[in-house]
Amino acid sequence: MKKDKKNSFNTPEGYFESFHDRLMDKINKEEGQPESIIPKSDGFTVPERYFDEVTPKVLSKTVEDNGKVIQLKSYRKFYYAAAAVAALFLLVFGLNWKSNAPIGFDDLANTEIDAYFESTEIDISTYELAELVPLESLELNDVLENDIEAENILEYLDETVEDIEDLNLDYSNYE
Amino acid sequence: MHYQLIAEETLINELKQKESQAKAFEVLVNTYKERLYWHIRRIVLDHDDADDVLQNTFIKVYKNIDNFKGESKLYSWMYRIATNESLTFLKQKSRKMGISDEELKNRMVENLQSDVYFEGDEIQLKLQKALATLPDKQKLVFTMKYFQEMKYEEISEALETSVGALKTSYHLASKKIEAYLKED
Repeated sequence: MKKDKKNSFNTPEGYFESFHDRLMDKINKEEGQPESIIPKSDGFTVPERYFDEVTPKVLSKTVEDNGKVIQLKSYRKFYYAAAAVAALFLLVFGLNWKSNAPIGFDDLANTEIDAYFESTEIDISTYELAELVPLESLELNDVLENDIEAENILEYLDETVEDIEDLNLDYSNYE
Repeated sequence: MHYQLIAEETLINELKQKESQAKAFEVLVNTYKERLYWHIRRIVLDHDDADDVLQNTFIKVYKNIDNFKGESKLYSWMYRIATNESLTFLKQKSRKMGISDEELKNRMVENLQSDVYFEGDEIQLKLQKALATLPDKQKLVFTMKYFQEMKYEEISEALETSVGALKTSYHLASKKIEAYLKED
């Protein structure tokens, strides 16, 4: 029970805390507005202490990460030396290079291209890949390491497909 | 001038000065982490995804604080970054999985049933299904107003949309959700 020091009246526990909610309920009822059927909370929770732990995680990737800047100035003399050596190489090989043809895509070794694709996370979906590479220019054996003969394909279909209709073949083209 | 505005102005100045930056950024993270988390969580639904996006949001804020011109309030600028990061995250996720945005939304809601950090009952799960049917903007406006209890003026700054248009979006979203929840 809460007591008012200036008078002897008192109110039930929590009366003023819940007053606003009760008032709004009453106004809604009087105005004839039905209470919404949409739930008041959406049921999401977080792991215990998540909000305490996220601050150090963020700071380690921002403020603290920033403190680990490598001082470049002390290496300056090495850069000059490296640049001088590189310039010398360019001069020697540049003068002896007989071919004037610019370097093109064909000059890249396949292993270099493979290494690039393996080491780089390329954000490209199968749909985009399909748009990029026209279907007509691809043979099945281009994407397989071992060649597959037509005979093997027929054998596979014979073993796995129960109903030939499943293949949706356009018979008119095969007559 | 309002106390909060003075405090925000001071914080921005401290964030732009190298010597006070670290402490000011910690204050910023502690002040906004919960609000931004819940905003992000209601877009990406999964806790681990929300954690990733929240951290990326703060990293973007940190890297771009010098470009913040103060034309909008700091929190609405951060809400914009959080919204963009969340929507971009979902786009990348659907592309990586090779499915449409709609399909991804449906799968996200389905996954909630086995999510240990979702304690919703049947009606709350149905609410998520209803939200998944809404256009992004309507869903954002609804969750920001209904669950985060933001004022229209605040949402207006964060989403760069007029208050009038927001009210319309909110009204439409509420009606669609109520209709969906009434369905058997």
